[in-house]
Amino acid sequence: MRLSPLRLLPVLGVALVVLGPLGLLVYQSLLSAPFFDPTASYSTEAFRYILSNPDFHRAFGTSFLISLGMTSIAVPLGSLLGFLVVRTDLPGRRWLEPWLLVPVFLSPVVVAFGYVVAVGPVGFFSLWSRSLLGVVPWNLYSVGGLIMIAGMTHVPHVFLYVSSALRSLDPAVEEAARVTGAGPWRIAFTVSLPLVWPSILFSISLVFLLGFELFGLPLVLGDPGGLLVLTTYLYKLTNLLGVPSYQLMAVVALSIVVITFPLVYLQQRLLGTAARYAVIRGKGQAFRPLPLGELRWPMLALVLLWLLGVVVLPLAGVALRSVVRYWGEGVSLTEVLTLDHFRRLVGYPNLVRGIINTLLIGGLGGALAVAAYAAIALSSHRWQSPVVSLTDYLVLVPRALPGLVVGLAFFWVFLFFKPLSPLRSTLVSLWLAYTVVWLAYGLKLISAALLQVAPELEEAARVTGASQGLIYRDVTLPLIRFGLLGSWLLIFMMFVREYSTGVYLLGPGTEVIGSLIVSLWGTGALDLIAALSVVEVAIVGLALFFALRLGVRLDA
Amino acid sequence: MPELVVENIQKRLGQTAVLRGVSFHLNQGEILALLGPSGSGKTTLLRSVAGLERPDAGRIELGGKVIFDAASQFEVPAERRGLGLVFQSYAIWPHRTVYENVAYGLRLRRVEEKEMRRRVGEVLEQLGLKEMAGRYPHQLSGGQQQRVALARALVYSPPVLLLDEPLSNLDAKLREEARAWLRELIKQTKSSALYVTHDQIEALAIADRILLLEDGQIQQEGTPEQIYAQPANRFVAEFMGSNNRLEGKLTEIQGEQGCLEGNGWSLWGQLRVPKKQADDATALIHVEQVRVVEGPGRNHLRMQLRSAFYLGERWEYLFAAGDLKLRAWGQEPLPQRDCWLFVPAERLWIF
Repeated sequence: MRLSPLRLLPVLGVALVVLGPLGLLVYQSLLSAPFFDPTASYSTEAFRYILSNPDFHRAFGTSFLISLGMTSIAVPLGSLLGFLVVRTDLPGRRWLEPWLLVPVFLSPVVVAFGYVVAVGPVGFFSLWSRSLLGVVPWNLYSVGGLIMIAGMTHVPHVFLYVSSALRSLDPAVEEAARVTGAGPWRIAFTVSLPLVWPSILFSISLVFLLGFELFGLPLVLGDPGGLLVLTTYLYKLTNLLGVPSYQLMAVVALSIVVITFPLVYLQQRLLGTAARYAVIRGKGQAFRPLPLGELRWPMLALVLLWLLGVVVLPLAGVALRSVVRYWGEGVSLTEVLTLDHFRRLVGYPNLVRGIINTLLIGGLGGALAVAAYAAIALSSHRWQSPVVSLTDYLVLVPRALPGLVVGLAFFWVFLFFKPLSPLRSTLVSLWLAYTVVWLAYGLKLISAALLQVAPELEEAARVTGASQGLIYRDVTLPLIRFGLLGSWLLIFMMFVREYSTGVYLLGPGTEVIGSLIVSLWGTGALDLIAALSVVEVAIVGLALFFALRLGVRLDA
Repeated sequence: MPELVVENIQKRLGQTAVLRGVSFHLNQGEILALLGPSGSGKTTLLRSVAGLERPDAGRIELGGKVIFDAASQFEVPAERRGLGLVFQSYAIWPHRTVYENVAYGLRLRRVEEKEMRRRVGEVLEQLGLKEMAGRYPHQLSGGQQQRVALARALVYSPPVLLLDEPLSNLDAKLREEARAWLRELIKQTKSSALYVTHDQIEALAIADRILLLEDGQIQQEGTPEQIYAQPANRFVAEFMGSNNRLEGKLTEIQGEQGCLEGNGWSLWGQLRVPKKQADDATALIHVEQVRVVEGPGRNHLRMQLRSAFYLGERWEYLFAAGDLKLRAWGQEPLPQRDCWLFVPAERLWIF
C-alpha cells in the first residue's frame, strides 16, 4: 500500500490532539508558576509541594480504597450477571439484556445527585424509612456508601466483557460438564468463568482504572463528609490558593496518569491474551441454556433488585425532586408539588444555552466525531504498517486520561496557543476535548463495523477498477452506514451525559448540562440541578429508545 | 500469442515460502486451470496476477505490457490492470442491485448511460439473469449470485478472466451443470481465463491446459489427458484420480519396464523415474485400470475378495492376498470369493 495523505493525515491529527495536551501538562508541571506568568521558570517545586501534602496523601489513599472496594463488588456481580444472562434460563433474559447496560449511559453526577435526594440524610426514602421504621439503616455519606454505589453502578462494565467472552465460548464445553453430572453453579465456577478468566482479569483492571477516574460520584457524595479523592482534590485545588495554581494542578493530573497508564497498558496486553484463549464456537450453533431450577425466580429478583437500585432509585429521586418545591421532615408530598423549577430554567439564559449546546454537541458534534473516528479507522483499515501500530498506541493515551484532566489540558492548550484563543469560548474547544476523551470508544465502534466488511468486497471493487477513495465511497462506507448510524447514537448519548470534560472549559458559550450541574452543585441550587438532570435523562432516554428500536447493539 | 506471461513468481509469507518461482503463460482464448491441494499457493498466484498480492520476485506481462516487475520495483495497481476476477465467495456488493453490481465496472470506465444499459442488459441476458436486474443479492439463490459475480467480471470484456474456485460454493448437482456452461460461456465470449480449483474433475472438464501446483512449485503442465495419463512424478500420479499403491523391491529391469516384487507377488510396470535393480520402489495404478479377469497370465494376480460396496453407478471391490491390497471397480456384484485380477503393465507406474 502506498503512503497517501488520506492515510497519513488522520494519524498526524491523532498524534497532535493526543500528545499536544499531554505535553503541555508535563511542561506545566515542571514550572514554578502558570505558563502565562512571565516569571515562571523550570522547577520541581510543584512536585515537592504536592507529594508532601497530607491532603493529597489522604485523597490518594481514598481513591485507592474506593477503586479496590468497587472492583471487589463489581467484578463478581458483573461476572455472575454475565453467566446468568448468557448461559442460563433466567426468565426474560433476552428482554432484560439492553436494560442491564442502561447505567453506562447515565451521567454519574446525575445518579449521585439522585442518591442524595433519594437516600441521603433527608432523602425521600430515608424520611419514609424513618417514619415507618423509626431509623435510617444506611449512611450515604461514608466511604462505604460511596464504594457500594460505585461498585453497583460499574457492574455493567464487567458484564459487557464477561458476557461477550461467554458468548464466544463453545457451549459444548459446558454441555460436556453437564453430561458428566455438574449442576449450573458448579459449571459456572469450574468451567465457564475459568475459561473467560482473561476477560475477568481485563474487567478487574478496567474497573480499578475507572475507580481512579471517578469524579461525579465522589464530588456529590463525598462532599458533605469532607471526603476527597484524586479527581475532586484536583477540582478543589482550583479554588484553594486564590491565584491559579496551574503547576500544582498539573502535578495532581500527572499523578493520576502515572497510575492509569500502566493499567491501560496491562489491559491492552490482556486483550491480546483473551483473544488467544477464546474457544470459538461454530456458527449458528443452537444450545440449550443451563436450567437454574428453583433458583430461576430468586435470581431474576436479584437482578431486578440491582436494576432498581442503580437505575430506578436514583432516577426516581431526581424526578421527584424536580417536581417538589422543597423537601424535609414533616413535609407532605402532595402539598409541595410544582412545575416551577422547569419554568425557572427558561429564565436563566445560560441554562437554556446549556441545553441547546448539549443537543448541539451531541447531535452535530457527535456526527463530526464519528466522521473523525471513521477517517482515523479507515486510514489504518487493511493496512499493515508501523504507522498503524503507532496509532494503536496513541489511542491508548486518552483512555488513561480522565475527562477532567483532558478538559483541563485542552483549556490550557487554548490559552497557550494564542491563535487558538478565540475558539476557547466556543463549542469547538469543547468538541475537541470530547472527541479526544471518547476516541478509543468511538474507534472501537467503527472498527467493529469495519470488521463486518469482508475484504473481498473491497478487492472486487479494486479489480473492477476503483481507486482507494472510490472503494471507500462506493463500497466500504455504504456497507457500514448502519454501523455509523449506531455509533452516532451511542456517541450522542455519551456526549450528552458527559460532565467532567467540560468543567474547566465551562464559560459563556460553552455551557453544557453536565458541567452546569457540576458548577451548580457548588452553589446548592438543588431545584435547578434536579430540573436539568431530568432534561438530560430525558434526552439520553429518547436516544436510547431510538437506538434500541433500530437494533443498535449497546454492548460495543 | 500469449495474453499473459508469468515469470518466476516468488512469494514469502513470514517464514513460509508460498510460491517458489512459478512461470507460465496463458494464450489468447485459452482456459488454463491452476490445480492443486489447499496450501499449494494457487490462490496466491491468482491474486498476484490480479495485483492483490505483491510477489517478492518475478515479472508479469499482460497483453505484451509489463504489469509487474520485482527487479525494477514496477507495479501497475490492481485497479489499473483491467482484469476480471470472480471470487470464491462471489463478493457481490450486498448494498447494490444486480444491475448496479454489474454496471459498476462500466461506470468507472465512464461508459455513457445508454451504452452501459445495453451492455449490462446483454451480459445479464447471456447469463440468464435478465429478470433479476432489480433484485438485491440476498434475494438470489447461490447459483444466481455466482452468475452475477461472473457477469460483473465479464461486462467490461477484460483481456483475462481470473476465477478463484468459482463453483466451490454451489451444491454438487449444480456444480456439474455449471462446469459445462461455464466452459461454453468463456469460449463464446472469446475470453482467456485463469481458473483456480482444487477439484481435479473440474479442472479436467473445464481447462484446455492444467498447471498442477504443489508446495509453491509447478509439478506438471499439460493438457488434461497428459496430466491424467502421463504423470511426470509421483505427486502428480497420486494426486490425480483414485489410486492403488504397492510397495516392493525391483527384481528385474528390461528397458522401460521393471518387475516389482512383494511378499508373494510380482508385477511388471513402467519405470517413471530412473531406478536400479534391487531398489525399493512404489507402484501406482488408477483403480479403474485394475480389471477382474478369467484365468492366470502375465501380470495376473489371484486375490481374495474382502468386501464390495455398491456406489450406484458402479461397484467397488476390495481384494487382498497376504499384505497386498487392491481396489477395483466393476459393474456387477462378484459371486465368487477368489478372483484373478489383471494389472496392465503400461498403466502401473513405478516411482
